[in-house]
Amino acid sequence: MTMEKSAQKSKINITLELAIFITIVITLIPIIWIAILAFLPNKSIIGSNFDFSFWLGNFRTLADPGQNFVRQIFNSLIITFGTVILTLAIGSGSGYSLSKLKPPKWATTPVFILASFLPIVPPITLVPGIYVTLTNLNLLGSVTGLVLVNTVFNLPFAILMIKSYFDQIPDELREAALVDGASERRVFFSVLLPLAKPGLGAVAIYVAIMAWNEFLMGLIMTTGGGAAPLTVGIASLVQDYEITFGQMSASGFVAAIPIIILTAVASRQIVSGLTAGAVKS
Amino acid sequence: MKNAAVSGRTRGSFSLSGRRATSVVALLPFVIFLAIFAVYPLYELVRLSFQETEVLDGEFFSAFNGLDNFKKIPDDPLAINSIKVTLLFTTLCVILTLVAGTVGAMMVNSSRIFKSAARNIFVWPAVVAPVVVSVMWLLILDPTMGLVNKILETLGQEPQIWLNSKTGAFISVVVVDVWHWTPVVFLFIYAGLNGINQEILEAGRVDGATEGQLIRRIILPILLPTIAVIAVLRTIMSIKAFDEMYLLTKGGPDGATSLISLQIREIFVDVLDFGYASALSLCIVAILGLIVGIAYSLRRKNRSR
Repeated sequence: MTMEKSAQKSKINITLELAIFITIVITLIPIIWIAILAFLPNKSIIGSNFDFSFWLGNFRTLADPGQNFVRQIFNSLIITFGTVILTLAIGSGSGYSLSKLKPPKWATTPVFILASFLPIVPPITLVPGIYVTLTNLNLLGSVTGLVLVNTVFNLPFAILMIKSYFDQIPDELREAALVDGASERRVFFSVLLPLAKPGLGAVAIYVAIMAWNEFLMGLIMTTGGGAAPLTVGIASLVQDYEITFGQMSASGFVAAIPIIILTAVASRQIVSGLTAGAVKS
Repeated sequence: MKNAAVSGRTRGSFSLSGRRATSVVALLPFVIFLAIFAVYPLYELVRLSFQETEVLDGEFFSAFNGLDNFKKIPDDPLAINSIKVTLLFTTLCVILTLVAGTVGAMMVNSSRIFKSAARNIFVWPAVVAPVVVSVMWLLILDPTMGLVNKILETLGQEPQIWLNSKTGAFISVVVVDVWHWTPVVFLFIYAGLNGINQEILEAGRVDGATEGQLIRRIILPILLPTIAVIAVLRTIMSIKAFDEMYLLTKGGPDGATSLISLQIREIFVDVLDFGYASALSLCIVAILGLIVGIAYSLRRKNRSR
Protein backbone atom coordinates (compact mmCIF):
# COMPACT_ATOMS: atom_id res chain seq x y z
CA MET A 1 0.00 0.00 0.00
CA THR A 2 2.84 2.38 0.74
CA MET A 3 4.27 1.67 -2.69
CA GLU A 4 0.96 2.35 -4.32
CA LYS A 5 0.71 5.61 -2.37
CA SER A 6 4.13 6.80 -3.41
CA ALA A 7 3.44 5.83 -7.01
CA GLN A 8 0.26 7.90 -6.94
CA LYS A 9 2.05 10.82 -5.32
CA SER A 10 4.98 10.99 -7.66
CA LYS A 11 2.85 10.90 -10.80
CA ILE A 12 2.92 14.34 -12.39
CA ASN A 13 -0.34 15.47 -13.93
CA ILE A 14 0.68 17.69 -16.85
CA THR A 15 -2.77 19.24 -17.44
CA LEU A 16 -3.02 20.15 -13.77
CA GLU A 17 0.45 21.70 -13.63
CA LEU A 18 -0.23 23.66 -16.81
CA ALA A 19 -3.54 24.96 -15.42
CA ILE A 20 -1.78 26.09 -12.24
CA PHE A 21 0.95 27.76 -14.25
CA ILE A 22 -1.62 29.71 -16.29
CA THR A 23 -3.44 30.74 -13.11
CA ILE A 24 -0.15 31.96 -11.64
CA VAL A 25 0.44 34.06 -14.76
CA ILE A 26 -3.10 35.52 -14.63
CA THR A 27 -2.61 36.31 -10.93
CA LEU A 28 0.65 38.07 -11.65
CA ILE A 29 -0.33 40.05 -14.78
CA PRO A 30 -1.71 43.14 -13.00
CA ILE A 31 1.31 43.22 -10.69
CA ILE A 32 3.84 42.78 -13.50
CA TRP A 33 2.05 45.33 -15.70
CA ILE A 34 2.15 48.06 -13.04
CA ALA A 35 5.81 47.23 -12.37
CA ILE A 36 6.66 47.64 -16.07
CA LEU A 37 4.75 50.91 -16.45
CA ALA A 38 6.38 52.34 -13.34
CA PHE A 39 9.71 52.35 -15.21
CA LEU A 40 8.41 53.86 -18.46
CA PRO A 41 8.06 57.51 -19.53
CA ASN A 42 4.50 58.61 -20.32
CA LYS A 43 5.05 58.89 -24.06
CA SER A 44 6.10 55.27 -24.46
CA ILE A 45 3.18 54.19 -22.25
CA ILE A 46 0.65 55.92 -24.48
CA GLY A 47 2.53 55.28 -27.74
CA SER A 48 1.81 52.20 -29.76
CA ASN A 49 5.33 50.86 -30.22
CA PHE A 50 6.46 49.38 -27.00
CA ASP A 51 10.10 49.76 -26.11
CA PHE A 52 11.14 49.12 -22.56
CA SER A 53 13.77 51.33 -21.03
CA PHE A 54 14.54 51.18 -17.36
CA TRP A 55 13.57 54.81 -16.69
CA LEU A 56 13.50 56.22 -13.16
CA GLY A 57 11.92 59.56 -14.07
CA ASN A 58 8.52 58.69 -12.55
CA PHE A 59 10.08 58.03 -9.17
CA ARG A 60 12.23 61.16 -9.44
CA THR A 61 9.15 63.31 -10.13
CA LEU A 62 7.29 61.74 -7.21
CA ALA A 63 10.23 62.32 -4.87
CA ASP A 64 10.37 65.99 -5.85
CA PRO A 65 10.14 68.17 -2.73
CA GLY A 66 7.20 70.01 -4.28
CA GLN A 67 5.18 66.78 -4.25
CA ASN A 68 3.60 65.35 -1.11
CA PHE A 69 4.58 61.80 -1.99
CA VAL A 70 7.52 61.36 0.39
CA ARG A 71 5.56 63.03 3.16
CA GLN A 72 2.69 60.62 2.54
CA ILE A 73 4.96 57.57 2.67
CA PHE A 74 6.25 58.89 5.97
CA ASN A 75 2.68 59.38 7.26
CA SER A 76 1.75 55.85 6.23
CA LEU A 77 4.83 54.43 7.95
CA ILE A 78 4.00 56.22 11.21
CA ILE A 79 0.34 55.16 10.99
CA THR A 80 1.40 51.54 10.34
CA PHE A 81 3.94 51.35 13.17
CA GLY A 82 1.70 53.25 15.58
CA THR A 83 -1.26 51.00 14.83
CA VAL A 84 0.77 47.79 15.19
CA ILE A 85 2.28 48.85 18.53
CA LEU A 86 -0.98 50.11 19.99
CA THR A 87 -2.96 47.08 18.76
CA LEU A 88 -0.39 44.65 20.19
CA ALA A 89 -0.20 46.53 23.49
CA ILE A 90 -3.96 46.54 24.02
CA GLY A 91 -4.56 43.23 22.28
CA SER A 92 -2.00 41.19 24.20
CA GLY A 93 -3.33 42.35 27.56
CA SER A 94 -6.95 41.74 26.65
CA GLY A 95 -6.26 38.51 24.77
CA TYR A 96 -4.29 37.18 27.74
CA SER A 97 -7.03 38.15 30.14
CA LEU A 98 -9.71 36.40 28.06
CA SER A 99 -7.60 33.28 27.71
CA LYS A 100 -6.01 32.82 31.12
CA LEU A 101 -7.45 35.10 33.79
CA LYS A 102 -11.10 34.00 33.53
CA PRO A 103 -12.67 37.45 33.80
CA PRO A 104 -16.27 37.67 35.08
CA LYS A 105 -19.04 37.28 32.52
CA TRP A 106 -20.23 40.86 32.84
CA ALA A 107 -16.82 41.98 31.57
CA THR A 108 -16.39 39.45 28.76
CA THR A 109 -19.89 39.73 27.30
CA PRO A 110 -19.48 43.33 26.04
CA VAL A 111 -16.01 42.44 24.73
CA PHE A 112 -17.31 39.51 22.68
CA ILE A 113 -20.34 41.45 21.44
CA LEU A 114 -18.16 44.37 20.31
CA ALA A 115 -15.46 42.14 18.85
CA SER A 116 -17.93 40.23 16.73
CA PHE A 117 -20.15 43.16 15.81
CA LEU A 118 -17.60 45.78 14.73
CA PRO A 119 -16.11 43.71 11.87
CA ILE A 120 -19.50 43.43 10.16
CA VAL A 121 -20.25 47.15 10.25
CA PRO A 122 -19.32 48.95 7.00
CA PRO A 123 -16.75 51.59 8.04
CA ILE A 124 -18.55 54.26 5.99
CA THR A 125 -21.51 54.10 8.38
CA LEU A 126 -19.27 55.04 11.33
CA VAL A 127 -17.76 58.01 9.51
CA PRO A 128 -20.00 60.79 10.96
CA GLY A 129 -19.53 59.60 14.54
CA ILE A 130 -15.77 59.13 14.20
CA TYR A 131 -15.53 62.54 12.53
CA VAL A 132 -17.25 64.17 15.51
CA THR A 133 -15.10 62.21 17.99
CA LEU A 134 -11.83 63.17 16.31
CA THR A 135 -12.95 66.81 16.12
CA ASN A 136 -13.74 66.80 19.84
CA LEU A 137 -10.37 65.22 20.64
CA ASN A 138 -8.71 67.80 18.39
CA LEU A 139 -7.18 64.99 16.34
CA LEU A 140 -8.97 65.50 13.04
CA GLY A 141 -6.54 65.39 10.14
CA SER A 142 -3.69 64.19 12.34
CA VAL A 143 -1.62 61.04 12.04
CA THR A 144 -2.37 60.27 15.71
CA GLY A 145 -6.08 60.31 14.94
CA LEU A 146 -5.60 57.82 12.12
CA VAL A 147 -3.50 55.58 14.38
CA LEU A 148 -6.38 55.48 16.88
CA VAL A 149 -9.02 54.78 14.22
CA ASN A 150 -6.95 52.07 12.55
CA THR A 151 -6.31 50.47 15.95
CA VAL A 152 -10.04 50.32 16.64
CA PHE A 153 -10.79 48.53 13.38
CA ASN A 154 -7.99 46.00 13.89
CA LEU A 155 -8.46 45.29 17.58
CA PRO A 156 -11.41 42.85 17.43
CA PHE A 157 -9.67 40.40 15.12
CA ALA A 158 -6.30 40.91 16.84
CA ILE A 159 -7.74 40.13 20.27
CA LEU A 160 -9.47 36.97 19.11
CA MET A 161 -6.27 35.81 17.38
CA ILE A 162 -4.06 36.59 20.38
CA LYS A 163 -6.54 34.84 22.68
CA SER A 164 -6.35 31.70 20.55
CA TYR A 165 -2.53 31.82 20.74
CA PHE A 166 -2.60 32.08 24.53
CA ASP A 167 -5.14 29.24 24.60
CA GLN A 168 -2.48 26.98 23.08
CA ILE A 169 -0.07 27.64 25.97
CA PRO A 170 -0.79 25.19 28.82
CA ASP A 171 -2.21 26.68 32.03
CA GLU A 172 0.33 24.68 34.06
CA LEU A 173 3.10 27.06 33.02
CA ARG A 174 1.29 29.99 34.52
CA GLU A 175 0.45 28.06 37.67
CA ALA A 176 4.02 26.88 38.10
CA ALA A 177 5.32 30.43 37.84
CA LEU A 178 2.75 31.60 40.39
CA VAL A 179 3.77 28.82 42.79
CA ASP A 180 7.36 29.98 42.45
CA GLY A 181 6.18 33.31 43.79
CA ALA A 182 6.06 35.40 40.63
CA SER A 183 3.46 38.17 40.55
CA GLU A 184 0.68 38.18 37.93
CA ARG A 185 2.50 40.94 36.10
CA ARG A 186 5.79 39.05 36.05
CA VAL A 187 4.11 35.86 34.88
CA PHE A 188 2.61 37.78 31.98
CA PHE A 189 5.69 39.74 30.93
CA SER A 190 8.44 37.20 31.59
CA VAL A 191 6.77 33.85 31.02
CA LEU A 192 3.70 33.94 28.78
CA LEU A 193 4.30 36.94 26.57
CA PRO A 194 7.64 35.59 25.26
CA LEU A 195 5.95 32.25 24.51
CA ALA A 196 3.26 33.98 22.47
CA LYS A 197 5.82 35.86 20.36
CA PRO A 198 5.27 33.92 17.11
CA GLY A 199 1.54 34.53 17.38
CA LEU A 200 2.05 38.21 18.12
CA GLY A 201 4.35 38.37 15.07
CA ALA A 202 1.60 37.01 12.82
CA VAL A 203 -0.87 39.50 14.25
CA ALA A 204 1.66 42.33 13.76
CA ILE A 205 2.13 41.45 10.09
CA TYR A 206 -1.60 41.24 9.50
CA VAL A 207 -2.31 44.55 11.25
CA ALA A 208 0.60 46.23 9.43
CA ILE A 209 -0.85 45.20 6.06
CA MET A 210 -4.32 46.43 7.03
CA ALA A 211 -3.06 49.78 8.33
CA TRP A 212 -0.72 50.39 5.38
CA ASN A 213 -3.59 49.66 2.95
CA GLU A 214 -6.32 51.63 4.75
CA PHE A 215 -8.01 54.23 2.56
CA LEU A 216 -11.50 55.40 3.60
CA MET A 217 -10.61 56.87 7.00
CA GLY A 218 -7.52 58.56 5.55
CA LEU A 219 -9.69 60.02 2.81
CA ILE A 220 -12.34 61.49 5.07
CA MET A 221 -10.41 62.29 8.27
CA THR A 222 -7.62 64.26 6.55
CA THR A 223 -7.71 67.18 4.16
CA GLY A 224 -5.40 65.34 1.75
CA GLY A 225 -2.03 66.63 0.59
CA GLY A 226 0.82 66.43 3.08
CA ALA A 227 -1.45 65.27 5.90
CA ALA A 228 -2.77 62.23 4.04
CA PRO A 229 -1.55 58.63 4.04
CA LEU A 230 -0.03 57.13 0.88
CA THR A 231 -3.24 55.44 -0.30
CA VAL A 232 -5.06 58.78 -0.37
CA GLY A 233 -2.12 60.32 -2.22
CA ILE A 234 -2.32 57.60 -4.88
CA ALA A 235 -6.05 58.16 -5.25
CA SER A 236 -5.47 61.88 -5.80
CA LEU A 237 -2.97 61.05 -8.56
CA VAL A 238 -5.66 58.96 -10.26
CA GLN A 239 -8.26 61.71 -10.02
CA ASP A 240 -5.89 64.37 -11.32
CA TYR A 241 -7.04 66.10 -14.49
CA GLU A 242 -3.63 65.66 -16.01
CA ILE A 243 -3.43 61.88 -16.04
CA THR A 244 0.14 60.73 -15.63
CA PHE A 245 0.06 56.97 -16.01
CA GLY A 246 3.77 56.65 -15.26
CA GLN A 247 3.52 58.38 -11.90
CA MET A 248 0.32 56.51 -11.08
CA SER A 249 2.11 53.23 -11.72
CA ALA A 250 5.22 54.25 -9.80
CA SER A 251 3.21 55.29 -6.74
CA GLY A 252 1.18 52.07 -6.81
CA PHE A 253 4.40 50.10 -7.23
CA VAL A 254 5.93 51.77 -4.16
CA ALA A 255 2.81 51.01 -2.09
CA ALA A 256 2.38 47.40 -3.21
CA ILE A 257 5.88 45.96 -3.55
CA PRO A 258 7.01 46.17 0.10
CA ILE A 259 3.81 44.42 1.19
CA ILE A 260 4.14 41.71 -1.46
CA ILE A 261 7.75 41.08 -0.44
CA LEU A 262 6.70 40.92 3.21
CA THR A 263 4.01 38.41 2.26
CA ALA A 264 6.38 36.30 0.17
CA VAL A 265 8.92 36.15 3.02
CA ALA A 266 6.48 35.69 5.89
CA SER A 267 3.78 33.75 4.06
CA ARG A 268 3.90 30.84 6.49
CA GLN A 269 3.27 33.07 9.53
CA ILE A 270 0.53 35.00 7.78
CA VAL A 271 -1.25 31.86 6.65
CA SER A 272 -1.10 30.13 10.02
CA GLY A 273 -2.02 33.34 11.78
CA LEU A 274 -5.02 34.16 9.64
CA THR A 275 -6.47 30.70 9.44
CA ALA A 276 -5.91 29.86 13.11
CA GLY A 277 -7.59 33.04 14.25
CA ALA A 278 -10.53 32.97 11.92
CA VAL A 279 -11.39 29.29 11.98
CA LYS A 280 -11.54 29.39 15.76
CA SER A 281 -13.67 32.50 16.01
CA MET B 1 -10.19 25.93 41.47
CA LYS B 2 -6.78 24.41 41.97
CA ASN B 3 -5.32 27.61 40.65
CA ALA B 4 -7.11 29.72 43.22
CA ALA B 5 -5.94 27.49 46.04
CA VAL B 6 -2.35 27.71 44.85
CA SER B 7 -2.24 31.45 44.58
CA GLY B 8 -4.23 31.71 47.81
CA ARG B 9 -1.40 30.00 49.64
CA THR B 10 1.36 32.06 48.10
CA ARG B 11 -0.14 35.51 47.89
CA GLY B 12 -2.76 35.77 50.62
CA SER B 13 -6.50 35.70 50.47
CA PHE B 14 -6.83 38.75 48.23
CA SER B 15 -5.23 37.11 45.25
CA LEU B 16 -8.42 35.64 43.78
CA SER B 17 -10.09 39.02 43.72
CA GLY B 18 -6.69 40.38 42.65
CA ARG B 19 -6.66 38.16 39.59
CA ARG B 20 -10.25 39.10 38.88
CA ALA B 21 -9.41 42.76 39.09
CA THR B 22 -6.39 42.28 36.82
CA SER B 23 -8.54 40.42 34.31
CA VAL B 24 -11.02 43.27 34.14
CA VAL B 25 -8.35 45.99 34.05
CA ALA B 26 -6.67 44.19 31.12
CA LEU B 27 -9.92 44.31 29.16
CA LEU B 28 -10.62 47.95 29.93
CA PRO B 29 -8.49 49.62 27.22
CA PHE B 30 -10.26 47.57 24.55
CA VAL B 31 -13.71 48.41 25.90
CA ILE B 32 -12.91 52.11 26.29
CA PHE B 33 -11.42 52.28 22.80
CA LEU B 34 -14.41 50.64 21.22
CA ALA B 35 -16.83 52.67 23.28
CA ILE B 36 -15.30 55.89 21.93
CA PHE B 37 -14.72 54.85 18.32
CA ALA B 38 -17.44 52.26 17.67
CA VAL B 39 -20.27 52.45 20.19
CA TYR B 40 -20.43 56.24 20.18
CA PRO B 41 -20.41 56.46 16.35
CA LEU B 42 -23.17 53.85 16.25
CA TYR B 43 -25.17 55.84 18.80
CA GLU B 44 -24.56 58.95 16.69
CA LEU B 45 -25.79 57.03 13.63
CA VAL B 46 -29.02 56.06 15.37
CA ARG B 47 -29.54 59.61 16.64
CA LEU B 48 -28.92 61.20 13.24
CA SER B 49 -31.23 58.76 11.50
CA PHE B 50 -34.23 60.12 13.41
CA GLN B 51 -33.34 63.73 12.69
CA GLU B 52 -33.46 66.21 9.90
CA THR B 53 -30.01 67.81 9.87
CA GLU B 54 -29.25 70.91 7.90
CA VAL B 55 -25.94 72.63 7.38
CA LEU B 56 -26.14 76.42 7.29
CA ASP B 57 -22.93 78.44 7.23
CA GLY B 58 -20.96 75.49 8.57
CA GLU B 59 -23.32 75.09 11.54
CA PHE B 60 -25.47 72.01 12.04
CA PHE B 61 -29.15 72.37 12.81
CA SER B 62 -31.03 69.24 13.80
CA ALA B 63 -34.66 68.52 14.48
CA PHE B 64 -36.37 65.26 15.34
CA ASN B 65 -38.39 63.99 12.40
CA GLY B 66 -39.39 60.51 13.51
CA LEU B 67 -39.26 57.85 10.82
CA ASP B 68 -39.26 60.28 7.89
CA ASN B 69 -35.70 59.35 6.86
CA PHE B 70 -36.55 55.66 6.76
CA LYS B 71 -39.75 56.28 4.81
CA LYS B 72 -37.71 58.02 2.12
CA ILE B 73 -35.72 54.88 1.28
CA PRO B 74 -38.37 52.95 -0.73
CA ASP B 75 -39.11 56.07 -2.82
CA ASP B 76 -35.47 56.79 -3.64
CA PRO B 77 -34.59 55.24 -7.01
CA LEU B 78 -30.86 55.74 -6.37
CA ALA B 79 -30.98 53.82 -3.09
CA ILE B 80 -33.08 51.03 -4.60
CA ASN B 81 -30.70 50.84 -7.54
CA SER B 82 -27.63 50.58 -5.33
CA ILE B 83 -29.28 47.91 -3.18
CA LYS B 84 -29.96 45.91 -6.36
CA VAL B 85 -26.40 46.47 -7.61
CA THR B 86 -24.98 45.42 -4.24
CA LEU B 87 -27.14 42.27 -4.18
CA LEU B 88 -26.09 41.21 -7.68
CA PHE B 89 -22.45 42.11 -7.00
CA THR B 90 -22.42 40.20 -3.72
CA THR B 91 -24.08 37.11 -5.17
CA LEU B 92 -21.72 36.94 -8.15
CA CYS B 93 -18.56 37.72 -6.18
CA VAL B 94 -19.30 35.29 -3.36
CA ILE B 95 -20.09 32.42 -5.74
CA LEU B 96 -17.19 33.11 -8.12
CA THR B 97 -14.54 33.57 -5.42
CA LEU B 98 -15.77 30.48 -3.55
CA VAL B 99 -15.61 28.32 -6.66
CA ALA B 100 -12.29 29.74 -7.87
CA GLY B 101 -10.69 29.56 -4.41
CA THR B 102 -11.87 26.00 -3.76
CA VAL B 103 -10.83 24.71 -7.19
CA GLY B 104 -7.50 26.55 -6.88
CA ALA B 105 -6.80 25.09 -3.44
CA MET B 106 -7.56 21.56 -4.64
CA MET B 107 -5.36 22.02 -7.68
CA VAL B 108 -2.43 23.37 -5.67
CA ASN B 109 -2.88 20.65 -3.07
CA SER B 110 -2.36 17.90 -5.64
CA SER B 111 0.32 19.75 -7.61
CA ARG B 112 3.91 18.51 -7.58
CA ILE B 113 5.86 21.14 -9.51
CA PHE B 114 4.22 24.47 -8.64
CA LYS B 115 2.95 23.67 -5.16
CA SER B 116 5.15 25.96 -3.08
CA ALA B 117 5.26 28.76 -5.68
CA ALA B 118 1.50 28.77 -6.18
CA ARG B 119 0.79 28.56 -2.46
CA ASN B 120 2.76 31.76 -2.02
CA ILE B 121 1.80 33.71 -5.15
CA PHE B 122 -1.94 32.99 -4.95
CA VAL B 123 -2.03 34.99 -1.72
CA TRP B 124 -0.43 38.14 -3.14
CA PRO B 125 -3.50 39.92 -4.58
CA ALA B 126 -5.18 39.94 -1.16
CA VAL B 127 -2.37 41.94 0.48
CA VAL B 128 -2.26 44.67 -2.18
CA ALA B 129 -4.03 47.84 -1.05
CA PRO B 130 -7.50 48.12 -2.63
CA VAL B 131 -6.53 51.56 -3.92
CA VAL B 132 -3.52 50.07 -5.69
CA VAL B 133 -5.69 47.24 -7.00
CA SER B 134 -7.92 49.79 -8.71
CA VAL B 135 -4.85 51.58 -10.13
CA MET B 136 -3.60 48.23 -11.45
CA TRP B 137 -6.89 47.52 -13.17
CA LEU B 138 -7.26 51.05 -14.50
CA LEU B 139 -3.91 50.46 -16.19
CA ILE B 140 -5.33 47.25 -17.68
CA LEU B 141 -8.79 48.52 -18.68
CA ASP B 142 -7.90 52.05 -19.80
CA PRO B 143 -9.23 52.71 -23.33
CA THR B 144 -6.02 54.29 -24.69
CA MET B 145 -3.10 52.61 -22.95
CA GLY B 146 -4.73 49.67 -21.13
CA LEU B 147 -3.20 46.23 -21.51
CA VAL B 148 -6.42 44.60 -22.75
CA ASN B 149 -6.86 47.07 -25.58
CA LYS B 150 -3.16 46.89 -26.45
CA ILE B 151 -3.55 43.14 -26.86
CA LEU B 152 -6.77 43.58 -28.86
CA GLU B 153 -5.02 46.07 -31.15
CA THR B 154 -2.13 43.69 -31.71
CA LEU B 155 -4.64 41.03 -32.68
CA GLY B 156 -6.28 43.46 -35.08
CA GLN B 157 -9.47 43.82 -33.02
CA GLU B 158 -11.42 46.96 -32.17
CA PRO B 159 -10.42 48.48 -28.80
CA GLN B 160 -13.24 48.58 -26.22
CA ILE B 161 -14.15 51.23 -23.66
CA TRP B 162 -14.66 48.76 -20.83
CA LEU B 163 -15.58 51.07 -18.00
CA ASN B 164 -17.94 53.30 -20.02
CA SER B 165 -20.73 50.83 -20.71
CA LYS B 166 -23.00 49.71 -17.87
CA THR B 167 -22.45 46.00 -18.42
CA GLY B 168 -18.74 46.41 -19.15
CA ALA B 169 -18.18 48.39 -15.97
CA PHE B 170 -20.15 45.94 -13.83
CA ILE B 171 -18.33 42.91 -15.23
CA SER B 172 -15.00 44.69 -14.75
CA VAL B 173 -15.77 45.42 -11.13
CA VAL B 174 -16.71 41.78 -10.51
CA VAL B 175 -13.54 40.56 -12.24
CA VAL B 176 -11.43 42.92 -10.11
CA ASP B 177 -13.13 41.72 -6.94
CA VAL B 178 -12.63 38.07 -7.88
CA TRP B 179 -8.94 38.70 -8.62
CA HIS B 180 -8.52 40.60 -5.36
CA TRP B 181 -10.34 38.33 -2.91
CA THR B 182 -10.19 34.76 -4.25
CA PRO B 183 -6.89 34.42 -2.29
CA VAL B 184 -8.80 34.67 0.99
CA VAL B 185 -10.98 31.70 0.03
CA PHE B 186 -7.93 29.86 -1.28
CA LEU B 187 -6.09 30.32 2.03
CA PHE B 188 -8.86 28.86 4.15
CA ILE B 189 -9.73 25.97 1.86
CA TYR B 190 -6.07 25.10 1.45
CA ALA B 191 -5.63 25.04 5.22
CA GLY B 192 -8.78 22.93 5.47
CA LEU B 193 -7.52 20.47 2.84
CA ASN B 194 -4.27 20.04 4.72
CA GLY B 195 -6.19 19.24 7.86
CA ILE B 196 -7.93 16.26 6.23
CA ASN B 197 -6.69 12.94 7.48
CA GLN B 198 -4.89 11.24 4.57
CA GLU B 199 -5.89 7.81 5.81
CA ILE B 200 -9.55 8.49 5.05
CA LEU B 201 -8.68 9.33 1.44
CA GLU B 202 -6.36 6.33 1.22
CA ALA B 203 -9.16 4.09 2.44
CA GLY B 204 -11.44 5.54 -0.22
CA ARG B 205 -8.83 4.87 -2.91
CA VAL B 206 -8.34 1.30 -1.75
CA ASP B 207 -12.09 0.83 -2.02
CA GLY B 208 -11.79 1.87 -5.66
CA ALA B 209 -13.18 5.42 -5.54
CA THR B 210 -12.15 7.73 -8.36
CA GLU B 211 -10.60 11.14 -7.58
CA GLY B 212 -13.90 12.81 -8.55
CA GLN B 213 -15.81 10.60 -6.13
CA LEU B 214 -13.28 11.32 -3.39
CA ILE B 215 -13.84 15.05 -3.88
CA ARG B 216 -17.62 14.84 -3.96
CA ARG B 217 -18.19 12.21 -1.27
CA ILE B 218 -15.35 12.86 1.18
CA ILE B 219 -13.43 16.09 0.67
CA LEU B 220 -16.30 18.53 0.04
CA PRO B 221 -18.45 17.26 2.94
CA ILE B 222 -15.46 17.60 5.29
CA LEU B 223 -14.78 21.11 4.02
CA LEU B 224 -18.41 22.21 4.18
CA PRO B 225 -18.21 23.98 7.59
CA THR B 226 -15.12 25.90 6.43
CA ILE B 227 -16.82 26.83 3.16
CA ALA B 228 -19.87 28.05 5.08
CA VAL B 229 -17.71 30.29 7.30
CA ILE B 230 -15.95 31.81 4.28
CA ALA B 231 -19.24 32.29 2.46
CA VAL B 232 -20.45 34.45 5.34
CA LEU B 233 -17.11 36.28 5.51
CA ARG B 234 -17.13 36.97 1.77
CA THR B 235 -20.76 38.13 1.88
CA ILE B 236 -19.88 40.70 4.53
CA MET B 237 -16.79 41.76 2.59
CA SER B 238 -18.77 42.26 -0.62
CA ILE B 239 -21.51 44.28 1.03
CA LYS B 240 -18.81 46.44 2.68
CA ALA B 241 -16.81 46.86 -0.57
CA PHE B 242 -15.86 50.47 -1.20
CA ASP B 243 -12.25 51.37 -2.01
CA GLU B 244 -11.82 49.62 -5.36
CA MET B 245 -15.03 50.94 -6.92
CA TYR B 246 -14.54 54.42 -5.51
CA LEU B 247 -11.54 54.87 -7.79
CA LEU B 248 -12.33 52.48 -10.62
CA THR B 249 -15.83 53.59 -11.57
CA LYS B 250 -17.06 56.04 -8.89
CA GLY B 251 -20.30 54.06 -9.01
CA GLY B 252 -20.87 54.85 -12.67
CA PRO B 253 -21.69 54.79 -15.46
CA ASP B 254 -25.27 55.73 -14.67
CA GLY B 255 -25.23 53.95 -11.30
CA ALA B 256 -24.28 50.57 -12.79
CA THR B 257 -21.60 49.96 -10.13
CA SER B 258 -23.05 52.13 -7.38
CA LEU B 259 -22.53 49.81 -4.42
CA ILE B 260 -24.34 50.71 -1.22
CA SER B 261 -21.19 52.02 0.53
CA LEU B 262 -20.52 54.39 -2.38
CA GLN B 263 -24.12 55.58 -2.30
CA ILE B 264 -23.98 56.20 1.46
CA ARG B 265 -20.69 58.12 1.09
CA GLU B 266 -22.25 60.29 -1.55
CA ILE B 267 -25.25 61.17 0.61
CA PHE B 268 -23.01 61.85 3.63
CA VAL B 269 -20.23 63.78 1.92
CA ASP B 270 -21.66 65.32 -1.25
CA VAL B 271 -25.42 65.67 -0.62
CA LEU B 272 -24.84 66.31 3.12
CA ASP B 273 -28.18 64.74 4.04
CA PHE B 274 -26.93 63.20 7.29
CA GLY B 275 -30.31 61.98 8.49
CA TYR B 276 -31.10 60.05 5.34
CA ALA B 277 -27.57 58.66 4.98
CA SER B 278 -27.71 57.45 8.59
CA ALA B 279 -31.09 55.82 8.10
CA LEU B 280 -29.80 53.99 5.03
CA SER B 281 -26.62 52.99 6.92
CA LEU B 282 -28.65 51.67 9.81
CA CYS B 283 -30.69 49.47 7.48
CA ILE B 284 -27.51 48.01 5.99
CA VAL B 285 -26.01 47.38 9.45
CA ALA B 286 -29.26 45.70 10.47
CA ILE B 287 -29.24 43.47 7.38
CA LEU B 288 -25.61 42.48 7.98
CA GLY B 289 -26.38 41.80 11.63
CA LEU B 290 -29.27 39.60 10.56
CA ILE B 291 -27.10 37.62 8.12
CA VAL B 292 -24.43 36.99 10.76
CA GLY B 293 -27.06 36.21 13.38
CA ILE B 294 -28.71 33.59 11.18
CA ALA B 295 -25.35 32.09 10.20
CA TYR B 296 -24.30 31.92 13.85
CA SER B 297 -27.49 30.21 15.01
CA LEU B 298 -27.33 27.73 12.12
CA ARG B 299 -23.77 26.89 13.12
CA ARG B 300 -24.77 26.37 16.74
CA LYS B 301 -27.63 24.13 15.70
CA ASN B 302 -25.28 22.08 13.52
CA ARG B 303 -22.76 21.73 16.31
CA SER B 304 -25.23 20.63 18.93
CA ARG B 305 -26.56 17.98 16.58
